[in-house]
Amino acid sequence: MKNIVLSGVVAALLVFSGCSSKGPAVDTKAANNNPVEEVASTATQEVQPVETETVSSENSLVNSSTSESTMNSIESKLPTVYFAFDKYNITPAMQEKIDASAELGKKVGSNYKVKLEGNCDEWGSDEYNFALGLRRANAVKKALVADGIDASRISMVSYGKSNPVCTAHTKECWAKNRRVNFKLLP
Amino acid sequence: MKILFLLFLLFNIAYAGDATIEVIKKVDSLPTLAIEDSSISYDNTFKLRFFKSLVADLNVISLFNVDRHHRVVAYNDSSVLVSNKDMEYVLRYKIFEDDNGAMNIQMKLLQGDSEVFSKNYRVSKKDIYMFVSHAIAYDINEYMGAKPVSWMKKKVIFAKVIAPKKSEIIIADYTLTYQHIIIQGGFNLFPKWANQSQTAFYYTSLDNDKPTLKYVDIKTASVKSIISSDGMMICSDVSNDGNHLLLTMAKDGQPDIYLYDVKKHTYKRETTYSGIDVGGQFMNKDIIAFVSSRLGYPTIFTKNLLTNEINQVVYYGNSNVACSASGHYIVYKARESSNAFSQNTFNLHLVSTQTDLIRRLTATGVNEFPKFSKDGDAIIFVKNYKGQSSIGIIRLNFNKNYLFPIKSGRIQSMDW
Repeated sequence: MKNIVLSGVVAALLVFSGCSSKGPAVDTKAANNNPVEEVASTATQEVQPVETETVSSENSLVNSSTSESTMNSIESKLPTVYFAFDKYNITPAMQEKIDASAELGKKVGSNYKVKLEGNCDEWGSDEYNFALGLRRANAVKKALVADGIDASRISMVSYGKSNPVCTAHTKECWAKNRRVNFKLLP
Repeated sequence: MKILFLLFLLFNIAYAGDATIEVIKKVDSLPTLAIEDSSISYDNTFKLRFFKSLVADLNVISLFNVDRHHRVVAYNDSSVLVSNKDMEYVLRYKIFEDDNGAMNIQMKLLQGDSEVFSKNYRVSKKDIYMFVSHAIAYDINEYMGAKPVSWMKKKVIFAKVIAPKKSEIIIADYTLTYQHIIIQGGFNLFPKWANQSQTAFYYTSLDNDKPTLKYVDIKTASVKSIISSDGMMICSDVSNDGNHLLLTMAKDGQPDIYLYDVKKHTYKRETTYSGIDVGGQFMNKDIIAFVSSRLGYPTIFTKNLLTNEINQVVYYGNSNVACSASGHYIVYKARESSNAFSQNTFNLHLVSTQTDLIRRLTATGVNEFPKFSKDGDAIIFVKNYKGQSSIGIIRLNFNKNYLFPIKSGRIQSMDW
């Protein structure tokens, strides 16, 4: 028995159209490279357009340089909240920083929303680490709400260990990565 | 009484000795196989690369003691090389390029000087030679009458973080030798195959206001959003029929496991513990395994979706943060040391929910991302040891591990 095996190689470079630069490009080229045990003429997949995702247009008022620089100025005054290994409780030292942030949020930053980004060190599996990062963000959110910030102004995201500020394999570096960052949103 | 005790002791020693001898005999009893190269196209570097790939694949099927010597012979020689006369099997192959630039491979399996099996292969370009190597091993395994190694033909999908908040999603063969970036740009993690034929996959996009689960049809390259959640959104597992997903979502900042119905677009919360519940894995359609910190440290539990009964299934390990399930078996990752800042060792262990079986599957390094093949025959994982990352394949029935070094980058998550 002599079967000839033909690759199912298809060539179609498909990219998003109309997306911002952050939008992902999907490339299915050679995605089905398993040899197929049938004699057949070389298959060429038709290039098909990719469904374009609607990217919400940004608010032009918010994008004005004055507003942006104000937002950046306030954001630069917001602290980074650090945590102990495998923990998501707020230490007294960190509580003081959060209290100061809440005061900023009630005064000069009252027109903005805040996104809390939870992060972890490199230990642990990513899914568990993502949950740990989220619990850290949630702990900061609860502290901000207790300080009088409206919960509807706060959103959260966890990046697990995928957004490190330090990549050395040292105790000091791991401590820097176990953190919650504040990002202001219009 | 003393005599009886002595006899009992002798019996035990004898029995233990036999068991050891039996293991050695089993290794020796594998038939020997040599590989003869008759290739006429391409340079020697490529020829050797293909040969090594074939040796590795034939080792992984665990049916032969594979000879690693690269020997050259004419394809139509009527007898095997003199140096291979003592081999029980000889696999001879010829690679040649045709007029269309495609790579052709003729292969035959010889027993003594007799041809017992042959097959021809063709791929459009030599860069994807590894798929031919996998196919040859698959076919030889089938010819030998062993349990199919379908997982060898399955593709691996994984995410790699290339910079903070930047990642790529990549499709690869099971050794990660072939790699194709299918999603580039943005911050996209946790890819999971959406069906057994691997024509679509899910992934988490972190570029939106909320983490969003997306679905990609590979054939049409269409992308659609499935569901979003504040905080986190991960597809942890897909049911065998593709109709249900186990998601980790975080409504109100609380990470819990949800069962999502793909057809009805509805979901049901399956865990309610106030700490961390993540990483749901289907054991069958009614029972899931998951990671929970409800004992004060992360370890593995099961939940019966019909009765809501929850059981702890892993009692060993200081921090058991990831698992994969197949039938009543669970493979999980355990931190072996309790010191958070020492050189940590993470090993994989196998447990059964029906017996008291516990078996350590790895011995050194940081072993992570274990994932059963769909048929439960093999486990794929990533091993990080002494600065080198490798893809590992564990053949449970043969008690063997195989490693394939990864060239660059650390894997964020992986599905098979």
